[in-house]
Amino acid sequence: MTQRGSLDIRKVSKNYEVDGRPLKVLSDINLHVGPGEFISIVGPSGCGKSTILRLILGLDTGYEGDILLDGTRIAGTSLDRGIVFQDHRLLPWLTLEQNVSLALENAPLPAAEKRRTVAQHIALVGLQGFETVFPHQLSGGMAQRGAIARGLAVRPRILLLDEPLGALDALTRLRLQEELLRIWKAEGVTMILVTHDVDEALYLSDRVVVMNSGPGRIVGEVAVDLPTPRVRTSPAFASLKQRVLSLMGEYELEVA
Amino acid sequence: MTSTLDLERRGAAGSASQRALRPGASFLSGLSWRRSFNGIGLILPLGLLALWQTATSLQWIQPVFLPSPLATAGAFWKMLTKQNLHLDFLSSISIVAQAFVYGSLAAVGLGIAAGLSRKVEQFFGPTFDTIRHIPGIAWLPLIVLWLGIGAPAKILVIAKSVFFPVFLNTLSGIRNVEKRYVELGEVLTLTRWQLVRRVLVPSAVPSIMVSLRYSAGLAWALVVVAEGLSGLEGIGFLIFRAQGLLLTDQLVVCMVIIGFVGFAIDRTMYALQRRVLRWKQGFDG
Repeated sequence: MTQRGSLDIRKVSKNYEVDGRPLKVLSDINLHVGPGEFISIVGPSGCGKSTILRLILGLDTGYEGDILLDGTRIAGTSLDRGIVFQDHRLLPWLTLEQNVSLALENAPLPAAEKRRTVAQHIALVGLQGFETVFPHQLSGGMAQRGAIARGLAVRPRILLLDEPLGALDALTRLRLQEELLRIWKAEGVTMILVTHDVDEALYLSDRVVVMNSGPGRIVGEVAVDLPTPRVRTSPAFASLKQRVLSLMGEYELEVA
Repeated sequence: MTSTLDLERRGAAGSASQRALRPGASFLSGLSWRRSFNGIGLILPLGLLALWQTATSLQWIQPVFLPSPLATAGAFWKMLTKQNLHLDFLSSISIVAQAFVYGSLAAVGLGIAAGLSRKVEQFFGPTFDTIRHIPGIAWLPLIVLWLGIGAPAKILVIAKSVFFPVFLNTLSGIRNVEKRYVELGEVLTLTRWQLVRRVLVPSAVPSIMVSLRYSAGLAWALVVVAEGLSGLEGIGFLIFRAQGLLLTDQLVVCMVIIGFVGFAIDRTMYALQRRVLRWKQGFDG
Protein backbone atom coordinates (compact mmCIF):
# COMPACT_ATOMS: atom_id res chain seq x y z
CA MET A 1 0.00 0.00 0.00
CA THR A 2 1.05 3.54 -0.71
CA GLN A 3 2.56 5.50 2.11
CA ARG A 4 0.11 8.23 3.06
CA GLY A 5 1.72 11.60 3.40
CA SER A 6 0.61 14.54 5.48
CA LEU A 7 1.10 18.03 4.20
CA ASP A 8 1.49 21.29 6.07
CA ILE A 9 1.40 24.65 4.40
CA ARG A 10 2.46 27.37 6.82
CA LYS A 11 2.14 31.10 6.21
CA VAL A 12 2.89 30.79 2.54
CA SER A 13 2.86 33.96 0.42
CA LYS A 14 4.01 34.51 -3.10
CA ASN A 15 4.63 37.55 -5.24
CA TYR A 16 5.08 37.84 -8.95
CA GLU A 17 6.91 40.72 -10.49
CA VAL A 18 4.64 42.50 -12.97
CA ASP A 19 6.11 45.51 -14.78
CA GLY A 20 8.64 45.94 -11.99
CA ARG A 21 5.97 46.00 -9.29
CA PRO A 22 5.27 43.06 -7.01
CA LEU A 23 1.87 41.44 -7.44
CA LYS A 24 0.67 39.39 -4.51
CA VAL A 25 -0.75 36.09 -5.81
CA LEU A 26 -0.86 34.17 -2.55
CA SER A 27 -1.32 35.68 0.85
CA ASP A 28 -0.83 33.88 4.15
CA ILE A 29 -1.91 30.39 3.12
CA ASN A 30 -2.23 27.92 5.97
CA LEU A 31 -3.44 24.41 5.33
CA HIS A 32 -3.07 21.01 6.90
CA VAL A 33 -3.87 17.85 4.99
CA GLY A 34 -3.87 14.64 7.04
CA PRO A 35 -2.59 11.25 5.85
CA GLY A 36 -4.99 9.64 3.39
CA GLU A 37 -7.24 12.67 3.31
CA PHE A 38 -8.91 13.83 0.08
CA ILE A 39 -9.31 17.58 0.01
CA SER A 40 -10.43 19.94 -2.71
CA ILE A 41 -9.46 23.52 -3.32
CA VAL A 42 -12.11 25.53 -5.13
CA GLY A 43 -12.13 29.15 -6.20
CA PRO A 44 -12.49 31.42 -9.19
CA SER A 45 -9.83 31.47 -11.90
CA GLY A 46 -6.81 33.47 -10.89
CA CYS A 47 -7.20 32.88 -7.16
CA GLY A 48 -3.87 31.07 -7.06
CA LYS A 49 -5.14 27.53 -6.51
CA SER A 50 -2.97 26.08 -9.27
CA THR A 51 -0.05 28.15 -8.00
CA ILE A 52 -0.32 26.35 -4.65
CA LEU A 53 -0.01 23.03 -6.46
CA ARG A 54 3.08 24.26 -8.32
CA LEU A 55 4.64 25.22 -5.00
CA ILE A 56 3.81 21.84 -3.45
CA LEU A 57 5.27 20.12 -6.52
CA GLY A 58 8.47 22.07 -6.15
CA LEU A 59 8.30 23.56 -9.65
CA ASP A 60 8.39 27.03 -8.16
CA THR A 61 10.60 27.66 -5.16
CA GLY A 62 10.31 31.44 -4.88
CA TYR A 63 7.87 31.90 -2.01
CA GLU A 64 7.74 32.86 1.67
CA GLY A 65 6.70 30.46 4.39
CA ASP A 66 7.05 26.71 4.64
CA ILE A 67 5.59 23.70 2.91
CA LEU A 68 6.24 20.49 4.80
CA LEU A 69 5.59 16.95 3.65
CA ASP A 70 5.60 14.63 6.65
CA GLY A 71 7.42 17.29 8.59
CA THR A 72 10.21 17.85 6.06
CA ARG A 73 10.40 21.06 4.08
CA ILE A 74 10.03 20.33 0.39
CA ALA A 75 12.90 21.30 -1.91
CA GLY A 76 12.45 20.91 -5.66
CA THR A 77 10.51 18.20 -7.41
CA SER A 78 10.50 14.66 -6.09
CA LEU A 79 8.83 11.36 -6.76
CA ASP A 80 7.04 11.50 -3.41
CA ARG A 81 4.65 14.03 -4.94
CA GLY A 82 2.67 13.03 -8.03
CA ILE A 83 0.58 15.24 -10.29
CA VAL A 84 -2.18 14.92 -12.84
CA PHE A 85 -2.44 18.00 -15.04
CA GLN A 86 -5.53 19.31 -16.75
CA ASP A 87 -4.05 18.45 -20.15
CA HIS A 88 -3.16 14.78 -19.81
CA ARG A 89 0.40 15.63 -20.82
CA LEU A 90 1.24 12.13 -21.96
CA LEU A 91 4.25 12.39 -24.26
CA PRO A 92 2.82 11.84 -27.76
CA TRP A 93 5.85 9.84 -28.97
CA LEU A 94 5.62 7.26 -26.19
CA THR A 95 3.04 4.50 -25.92
CA LEU A 96 0.79 4.42 -22.88
CA GLU A 97 3.04 1.85 -21.27
CA GLN A 98 6.19 3.86 -21.97
CA ASN A 99 4.53 6.99 -20.61
CA VAL A 100 3.72 5.29 -17.33
CA SER A 101 7.20 3.75 -17.19
CA LEU A 102 8.78 7.15 -17.64
CA ALA A 103 7.50 8.08 -14.17
CA LEU A 104 9.44 5.13 -12.77
CA GLU A 105 12.65 5.92 -14.65
CA ASN A 106 14.34 7.14 -11.49
CA ALA A 107 12.42 5.10 -8.94
CA PRO A 108 14.66 2.81 -6.89
CA LEU A 109 13.07 -0.42 -8.11
CA PRO A 110 14.43 -3.41 -10.02
CA ALA A 111 13.34 -3.61 -13.68
CA ALA A 112 10.95 -6.52 -13.16
CA GLU A 113 9.25 -4.71 -10.31
CA LYS A 114 8.89 -1.60 -12.51
CA ARG A 115 7.22 -3.62 -15.25
CA ARG A 116 4.85 -5.15 -12.73
CA THR A 117 4.00 -1.73 -11.26
CA VAL A 118 3.30 -0.28 -14.70
CA ALA A 119 0.97 -3.15 -15.62
CA GLN A 120 -0.72 -2.92 -12.25
CA HIS A 121 -1.45 0.79 -12.58
CA ILE A 122 -2.66 0.51 -16.15
CA ALA A 123 -5.06 -2.12 -14.88
CA LEU A 124 -6.02 0.09 -11.92
CA VAL A 125 -7.32 2.77 -14.28
CA GLY A 126 -8.98 0.20 -16.53
CA LEU A 127 -6.74 0.55 -19.59
CA GLN A 128 -5.58 -3.06 -20.03
CA GLY A 129 -5.21 -3.85 -23.70
CA PHE A 130 -4.12 -0.30 -24.57
CA GLU A 131 -0.52 -0.60 -23.37
CA THR A 132 1.04 -0.18 -26.80
CA VAL A 133 -1.28 2.52 -28.05
CA PHE A 134 -0.07 6.09 -28.66
CA PRO A 135 -1.83 8.94 -26.82
CA HIS A 136 -3.43 10.35 -29.98
CA GLN A 137 -5.34 7.10 -30.33
CA LEU A 138 -6.90 7.48 -26.89
CA SER A 139 -10.04 9.47 -26.14
CA GLY A 140 -9.76 12.42 -23.75
CA GLY A 141 -11.08 10.43 -20.82
CA MET A 142 -8.79 7.48 -21.50
CA ALA A 143 -5.76 9.72 -21.82
CA GLN A 144 -6.62 11.30 -18.48
CA ARG A 145 -6.84 7.84 -16.90
CA GLY A 146 -3.41 7.16 -18.34
CA ALA A 147 -2.17 10.35 -16.69
CA ILE A 148 -3.66 9.19 -13.38
CA ALA A 149 -1.86 5.85 -13.76
CA ARG A 150 1.39 7.71 -14.40
CA GLY A 151 0.79 9.98 -11.39
CA LEU A 152 0.22 7.01 -9.09
CA ALA A 153 2.80 4.60 -10.49
CA VAL A 154 5.64 5.99 -8.39
CA ARG A 155 3.45 5.49 -5.32
CA PRO A 156 3.69 9.11 -4.23
CA ARG A 157 2.84 10.06 -0.68
CA ILE A 158 0.54 12.71 -2.05
CA LEU A 159 -1.20 13.03 -5.40
CA LEU A 160 -2.02 16.48 -6.71
CA LEU A 161 -4.82 16.86 -9.23
CA ASP A 162 -4.88 20.14 -11.14
CA GLU A 163 -8.38 20.33 -12.63
CA PRO A 164 -7.84 16.87 -14.10
CA LEU A 165 -11.41 16.56 -15.36
CA GLY A 166 -11.84 20.17 -16.46
CA ALA A 167 -11.35 19.52 -20.15
CA LEU A 168 -13.66 16.51 -20.39
CA ASP A 169 -17.29 16.33 -21.46
CA ALA A 170 -19.94 16.16 -18.72
CA LEU A 171 -20.63 12.44 -18.97
CA THR A 172 -16.98 11.39 -19.03
CA ARG A 173 -16.35 13.72 -16.13
CA LEU A 174 -19.01 12.01 -13.98
CA ARG A 175 -17.62 8.63 -14.87
CA LEU A 176 -14.08 9.64 -14.01
CA GLN A 177 -15.22 11.12 -10.72
CA GLU A 178 -16.41 7.64 -9.76
CA GLU A 179 -13.06 6.28 -10.95
CA LEU A 180 -11.15 8.76 -8.84
CA LEU A 181 -13.13 7.79 -5.75
CA ARG A 182 -12.54 4.12 -6.43
CA ILE A 183 -8.82 4.67 -6.98
CA TRP A 184 -8.53 6.80 -3.88
CA LYS A 185 -10.18 4.08 -1.81
CA ALA A 186 -8.03 1.38 -3.38
CA GLU A 187 -4.72 3.22 -3.04
CA GLY A 188 -5.46 5.26 0.05
CA VAL A 189 -3.12 8.01 -1.11
CA THR A 190 -3.48 11.56 0.17
CA MET A 191 -5.06 13.67 -2.56
CA ILE A 192 -5.43 17.38 -3.22
CA LEU A 193 -7.82 18.25 -6.02
CA VAL A 194 -7.94 21.72 -7.51
CA THR A 195 -11.17 22.39 -9.34
CA HIS A 196 -13.63 25.16 -10.08
CA ASP A 197 -16.51 22.71 -10.07
CA VAL A 198 -18.12 22.93 -6.61
CA ASP A 199 -20.23 19.81 -7.18
CA GLU A 200 -17.14 17.83 -8.06
CA ALA A 201 -15.34 19.02 -4.94
CA LEU A 202 -18.29 18.15 -2.67
CA TYR A 203 -18.85 14.81 -4.34
CA LEU A 204 -15.27 13.66 -3.97
CA SER A 205 -13.57 15.14 -0.98
CA ASP A 206 -13.57 15.03 2.81
CA ARG A 207 -13.02 18.74 3.00
CA VAL A 208 -13.43 21.67 0.63
CA VAL A 209 -11.08 24.62 0.95
CA VAL A 210 -12.48 27.78 -0.58
CA MET A 211 -10.17 30.42 -2.04
CA ASN A 212 -10.71 33.83 -3.47
CA SER A 213 -8.59 36.20 -5.49
CA GLY A 214 -6.96 39.58 -5.11
CA PRO A 215 -4.71 38.45 -3.44
CA GLY A 216 -5.20 34.67 -3.53
CA ARG A 217 -6.19 33.57 -0.06
CA ILE A 218 -8.18 30.92 1.77
CA VAL A 219 -11.56 32.34 2.77
CA GLY A 220 -13.03 29.30 4.43
CA GLU A 221 -13.36 25.59 4.72
CA VAL A 222 -16.31 23.24 4.54
CA ALA A 223 -16.12 19.74 5.99
CA VAL A 224 -18.10 17.29 3.90
CA ASP A 225 -19.46 14.81 6.43
CA LEU A 226 -21.88 13.09 4.08
CA PRO A 227 -21.83 9.31 3.69
CA THR A 228 -20.66 7.90 0.36
CA PRO A 229 -21.87 7.42 -2.30
CA ARG A 230 -23.07 10.97 -2.13
CA VAL A 231 -26.26 12.06 -3.77
CA ARG A 232 -25.79 15.31 -5.65
CA THR A 233 -29.47 16.18 -5.43
CA SER A 234 -29.88 15.60 -1.69
CA PRO A 235 -30.83 18.58 0.53
CA ALA A 236 -27.70 18.09 2.64
CA PHE A 237 -25.53 18.28 -0.50
CA ALA A 238 -27.37 21.39 -1.63
CA SER A 239 -26.91 23.15 1.65
CA LEU A 240 -23.17 22.41 1.64
CA LYS A 241 -23.01 23.74 -1.90
CA GLN A 242 -24.74 26.90 -0.75
CA ARG A 243 -22.16 27.32 2.00
CA VAL A 244 -19.27 26.92 -0.42
CA LEU A 245 -20.77 29.34 -2.91
CA SER A 246 -21.50 31.94 -0.30
CA LEU A 247 -17.90 31.65 0.94
CA MET A 248 -16.82 32.36 -2.63
CA GLY A 249 -19.14 35.36 -2.56
CA GLU A 250 -21.03 33.96 -5.49
CA TYR A 251 -24.26 32.83 -3.94
CA GLU A 252 -25.91 36.24 -3.80
CA LEU A 253 -25.13 36.65 -7.48
CA GLU A 254 -26.69 33.33 -8.33
CA VAL A 255 -30.05 34.04 -6.65
CA ALA A 256 -30.20 37.61 -7.92
CA MET B 1 -8.55 -3.56 -56.81
CA THR B 2 -8.07 -0.06 -55.61
CA SER B 3 -11.55 0.11 -54.17
CA THR B 4 -11.11 -3.08 -52.14
CA LEU B 5 -7.89 -1.75 -50.71
CA ASP B 6 -9.57 1.53 -49.96
CA LEU B 7 -12.36 -0.20 -48.13
CA GLU B 8 -9.87 -2.19 -46.10
CA ARG B 9 -8.03 0.92 -45.24
CA ARG B 10 -11.12 2.79 -44.13
CA GLY B 11 -12.27 -0.22 -42.17
CA ALA B 12 -8.97 -0.38 -40.37
CA ALA B 13 -8.65 3.31 -39.62
CA GLY B 14 -12.27 3.95 -38.68
CA SER B 15 -13.48 7.08 -36.96
CA ALA B 16 -11.50 8.60 -34.12
CA SER B 17 -13.89 7.27 -31.51
CA GLN B 18 -13.87 3.74 -32.90
CA ARG B 19 -10.14 3.84 -33.00
CA ALA B 20 -10.03 4.95 -29.41
CA LEU B 21 -12.12 2.02 -28.25
CA ARG B 22 -10.25 -0.78 -29.96
CA PRO B 23 -7.18 -2.11 -28.19
CA GLY B 24 -4.16 -2.54 -30.40
CA ALA B 25 -6.06 -1.38 -33.48
CA SER B 26 -4.02 -1.85 -36.59
CA PHE B 27 -3.09 1.77 -37.15
CA LEU B 28 -0.19 0.89 -39.41
CA SER B 29 -2.48 -0.25 -42.19
CA GLY B 30 -3.50 3.38 -42.79
CA LEU B 31 0.10 4.28 -43.52
CA SER B 32 0.79 1.80 -46.28
CA TRP B 33 2.47 2.55 -49.56
CA ARG B 34 -0.62 1.68 -51.49
CA ARG B 35 -2.05 5.05 -50.73
CA SER B 36 0.42 6.77 -53.01
CA PHE B 37 -0.05 4.27 -55.84
CA ASN B 38 -3.60 4.60 -56.85
CA GLY B 39 -4.66 5.20 -60.40
CA ILE B 40 -5.22 8.93 -60.29
CA GLY B 41 -1.49 9.66 -60.07
CA LEU B 42 -0.84 7.78 -63.29
CA ILE B 43 -3.16 9.85 -65.49
CA LEU B 44 -0.82 12.80 -65.93
CA PRO B 45 2.40 10.84 -66.68
CA LEU B 46 0.56 8.61 -69.17
CA GLY B 47 -0.90 11.71 -70.82
CA LEU B 48 2.55 13.27 -71.08
CA LEU B 49 3.94 10.07 -72.55
CA ALA B 50 1.15 10.06 -75.16
CA LEU B 51 1.89 13.70 -75.99
CA TRP B 52 5.59 12.89 -76.34
CA GLN B 53 4.80 9.98 -78.66
CA THR B 54 2.45 12.14 -80.75
CA ALA B 55 4.94 14.99 -80.99
CA THR B 56 7.63 12.65 -82.32
CA SER B 57 5.51 10.52 -84.67
CA LEU B 58 3.91 13.60 -86.23
CA GLN B 59 7.41 15.12 -86.51
CA TRP B 60 6.44 18.28 -84.59
CA ILE B 61 10.00 18.25 -83.32
CA GLN B 62 12.97 16.79 -85.16
CA PRO B 63 14.30 13.49 -83.74
CA VAL B 64 17.70 15.05 -83.15
CA PHE B 65 16.12 17.45 -80.66
CA LEU B 66 13.52 15.05 -79.26
CA PRO B 67 13.85 11.29 -79.86
CA SER B 68 10.71 9.15 -79.68
CA PRO B 69 9.90 7.21 -76.49
CA LEU B 70 10.74 3.99 -78.29
CA ALA B 71 14.11 5.31 -79.49
CA THR B 72 14.79 6.43 -75.94
CA ALA B 73 14.00 2.98 -74.60
CA GLY B 74 16.33 1.53 -77.23
CA ALA B 75 19.09 3.91 -76.20
CA PHE B 76 18.55 2.90 -72.58
CA TRP B 77 19.00 -0.77 -73.50
CA LYS B 78 22.12 0.00 -75.50
CA MET B 79 23.65 2.07 -72.69
CA LEU B 80 22.86 -0.66 -70.20
CA THR B 81 24.26 -3.56 -72.24
CA LYS B 82 27.10 -1.92 -74.14
CA GLN B 83 28.17 1.13 -72.16
CA ASN B 84 28.01 0.00 -68.55
CA LEU B 85 25.28 2.44 -67.60
CA HIS B 86 24.85 0.65 -64.28
CA LEU B 87 28.40 1.58 -63.27
CA ASP B 88 27.72 5.26 -63.80
CA PHE B 89 24.47 4.89 -61.96
CA LEU B 90 26.13 3.16 -59.01
CA SER B 91 28.84 5.77 -58.88
CA SER B 92 26.23 8.56 -58.62
CA ILE B 93 24.15 6.70 -56.04
CA SER B 94 27.19 5.91 -53.95
CA ILE B 95 28.26 9.56 -53.85
CA VAL B 96 24.77 10.65 -52.85
CA ALA B 97 24.42 7.97 -50.20
CA GLN B 98 27.75 8.78 -48.57
CA ALA B 99 27.21 12.52 -48.74
CA PHE B 100 23.72 12.15 -47.27
CA VAL B 101 24.84 9.93 -44.41
CA TYR B 102 27.87 12.03 -43.45
CA GLY B 103 26.09 15.35 -43.88
CA SER B 104 22.97 14.42 -41.99
CA LEU B 105 24.75 12.61 -39.15
CA ALA B 106 26.99 15.61 -38.56
CA ALA B 107 23.99 17.92 -38.83
CA VAL B 108 21.81 16.03 -36.37
CA GLY B 109 24.70 15.71 -33.91
CA LEU B 110 25.75 19.34 -34.06
CA GLY B 111 22.13 20.49 -34.30
CA ILE B 112 21.27 18.74 -31.05
CA ALA B 113 24.39 20.14 -29.39
CA ALA B 114 23.60 23.66 -30.56
CA GLY B 115 19.95 23.22 -29.61
CA LEU B 116 20.90 22.25 -26.07
CA SER B 117 23.54 24.87 -25.53
CA ARG B 118 23.47 28.55 -26.42
CA LYS B 119 27.25 28.55 -26.15
CA VAL B 120 27.63 25.93 -28.87
CA GLU B 121 25.15 27.80 -31.03
CA GLN B 122 27.00 31.08 -30.55
CA PHE B 123 30.32 29.41 -31.24
CA PHE B 124 29.24 28.01 -34.60
CA GLY B 125 26.58 30.56 -35.54
CA PRO B 126 28.51 33.27 -37.43
CA THR B 127 30.73 30.76 -39.26
CA PHE B 128 27.88 28.53 -40.30
CA ASP B 129 25.64 31.37 -41.36
CA THR B 130 28.37 32.61 -43.68
CA ILE B 131 29.45 29.27 -45.14
CA ARG B 132 25.81 28.33 -45.64
CA HIS B 133 25.40 31.16 -48.11
CA ILE B 134 28.24 30.04 -50.35
CA PRO B 135 26.52 27.44 -52.55
CA GLY B 136 27.98 23.97 -52.67
CA ILE B 137 28.61 24.41 -56.38
CA ALA B 138 30.72 27.49 -55.65
CA TRP B 139 32.85 25.39 -53.31
CA LEU B 140 33.37 22.67 -55.88
CA PRO B 141 36.10 24.28 -58.03
CA LEU B 142 38.32 24.94 -55.01
CA ILE B 143 37.69 21.56 -53.47
CA VAL B 144 38.40 19.82 -56.77
CA LEU B 145 41.78 21.59 -56.79
CA TRP B 146 42.47 20.08 -53.39
CA LEU B 147 40.93 16.65 -53.68
CA GLY B 148 40.92 15.99 -57.41
CA ILE B 149 38.02 15.18 -59.69
CA GLY B 150 37.09 11.91 -57.96
CA ALA B 151 34.27 11.11 -55.59
CA PRO B 152 35.63 12.70 -52.35
CA ALA B 153 35.30 16.27 -53.62
CA LYS B 154 31.70 15.69 -54.67
CA ILE B 155 30.84 13.90 -51.44
CA LEU B 156 32.21 16.82 -49.44
CA VAL B 157 30.33 19.43 -51.42
CA ILE B 158 27.03 17.56 -51.36
CA ALA B 159 27.41 16.73 -47.67
CA LYS B 160 27.76 20.44 -47.07
CA SER B 161 24.49 21.08 -48.88
CA VAL B 162 22.77 18.31 -46.91
CA PHE B 163 24.19 19.57 -43.64
CA PHE B 164 22.60 23.00 -43.37
CA PRO B 165 18.89 22.29 -43.79
CA VAL B 166 19.18 19.36 -41.37
CA PHE B 167 21.27 21.32 -38.89
CA LEU B 168 18.90 24.28 -38.81
CA ASN B 169 15.81 22.10 -38.50
CA THR B 170 17.32 20.01 -35.74
CA LEU B 171 18.28 23.14 -33.85
CA SER B 172 14.86 24.71 -34.14
CA GLY B 173 13.16 21.38 -33.42
CA ILE B 174 14.99 21.13 -30.11
CA ARG B 175 14.27 24.75 -29.26
CA ASN B 176 10.57 24.49 -30.06
CA VAL B 177 9.87 21.74 -27.55
CA GLU B 178 6.70 22.48 -25.62
CA LYS B 179 7.49 23.94 -22.23
CA ARG B 180 4.87 21.79 -20.55
CA TYR B 181 6.77 18.65 -21.55
CA VAL B 182 9.98 20.00 -20.07
CA GLU B 183 8.04 20.77 -16.90
CA LEU B 184 6.74 17.21 -16.87
CA GLY B 185 10.32 15.98 -17.11
CA GLU B 186 11.14 18.11 -14.08
CA VAL B 187 8.19 16.67 -12.14
CA LEU B 188 9.32 13.13 -13.01
CA THR B 189 12.84 14.09 -11.82
CA LEU B 190 14.42 13.22 -15.16
CA THR B 191 18.14 13.90 -15.37
CA ARG B 192 19.48 16.19 -18.08
CA TRP B 193 20.42 13.20 -20.22
CA GLN B 194 17.04 11.51 -19.73
CA LEU B 195 15.32 14.76 -20.67
CA VAL B 196 17.37 14.99 -23.86
CA ARG B 197 16.73 11.40 -24.83
CA ARG B 198 13.09 11.07 -23.86
CA VAL B 199 11.72 14.56 -24.39
CA LEU B 200 13.90 17.02 -26.32
CA VAL B 201 15.15 14.81 -29.16
CA PRO B 202 11.84 13.03 -29.82
CA SER B 203 10.04 16.36 -29.97
CA ALA B 204 12.56 17.52 -32.60
CA VAL B 205 12.16 14.40 -34.75
CA PRO B 206 9.26 15.70 -36.88
CA SER B 207 11.23 18.70 -38.04
CA ILE B 208 14.39 16.61 -38.50
CA MET B 209 12.47 14.17 -40.69
CA VAL B 210 11.13 16.94 -42.91
CA SER B 211 14.64 18.27 -43.47
CA LEU B 212 16.04 14.79 -44.17
CA ARG B 213 13.45 14.23 -46.86
CA TYR B 214 14.17 17.59 -48.38
CA SER B 215 17.93 17.22 -48.34
CA ALA B 216 17.87 13.67 -49.73
CA GLY B 217 16.20 15.07 -52.84
CA LEU B 218 18.59 17.99 -52.88
CA ALA B 219 21.61 15.66 -52.70
CA TRP B 220 20.40 13.69 -55.70
CA ALA B 221 19.87 16.84 -57.74
CA LEU B 222 23.29 18.16 -56.77
CA VAL B 223 25.21 15.04 -57.74
CA VAL B 224 24.07 15.54 -61.32
CA VAL B 225 25.40 19.10 -61.31
CA ALA B 226 28.64 18.13 -59.57
CA GLU B 227 29.33 15.29 -62.01
CA GLY B 228 28.54 17.57 -64.91
CA LEU B 229 31.10 20.07 -63.67
CA SER B 230 33.90 17.66 -62.89
CA GLY B 231 34.77 14.01 -63.26
CA LEU B 232 34.49 11.30 -65.88
CA GLU B 233 31.65 9.12 -64.69
CA GLY B 234 28.16 9.21 -63.26
CA ILE B 235 24.74 10.14 -64.57
CA GLY B 236 25.59 13.84 -64.49
CA PHE B 237 28.72 13.26 -66.55
CA LEU B 238 26.74 11.21 -69.09
CA ILE B 239 24.10 13.87 -69.52
CA PHE B 240 26.59 16.60 -70.37
CA ARG B 241 28.63 14.31 -72.58
CA ALA B 242 25.46 13.32 -74.46
CA GLN B 243 24.71 17.00 -75.05
CA GLY B 244 28.20 17.60 -76.41
CA LEU B 245 27.94 14.65 -78.79
CA LEU B 246 24.33 15.48 -79.71
CA LEU B 247 23.22 12.04 -78.49
CA THR B 248 19.79 13.37 -77.57
CA ASP B 249 18.36 9.91 -76.94
CA GLN B 250 21.02 9.21 -74.29
CA LEU B 251 20.45 12.64 -72.80
CA VAL B 252 16.75 11.91 -72.40
CA VAL B 253 17.53 8.48 -70.92
CA CYS B 254 19.61 10.18 -68.25
CA MET B 255 16.86 12.70 -67.54
CA VAL B 256 14.28 9.97 -67.13
CA ILE B 257 16.56 8.02 -64.80
CA ILE B 258 17.21 11.12 -62.71
CA GLY B 259 13.48 11.68 -62.45
CA PHE B 260 12.63 8.12 -61.46
CA VAL B 261 15.43 7.83 -58.93
CA GLY B 262 14.45 11.17 -57.41
CA PHE B 263 10.88 9.93 -57.15
CA ALA B 264 12.01 6.70 -55.49
CA ILE B 265 14.23 8.57 -53.02
CA ASP B 266 11.41 10.89 -52.08
CA ARG B 267 8.88 8.10 -51.60
CA THR B 268 11.34 6.10 -49.54
CA MET B 269 12.01 9.09 -47.31
CA TYR B 270 8.30 9.72 -47.03
CA ALA B 271 7.61 6.12 -46.01
CA LEU B 272 10.43 6.36 -43.48
CA GLN B 273 9.01 9.61 -42.15
CA ARG B 274 5.56 8.11 -41.67
CA ARG B 275 7.02 5.07 -40.01
CA VAL B 276 9.16 7.09 -37.60
CA LEU B 277 6.34 9.54 -36.88
CA ARG B 278 3.59 6.99 -36.48
CA TRP B 279 2.89 8.47 -33.06
CA LYS B 280 1.86 11.71 -34.67
CA GLN B 281 -1.66 12.37 -35.76
CA GLY B 282 -1.86 14.42 -38.91
CA PHE B 283 -4.19 15.40 -41.67
CA ASP B 284 -4.67 12.39 -43.91
CA GLY B 285 -6.22 14.07 -46.91
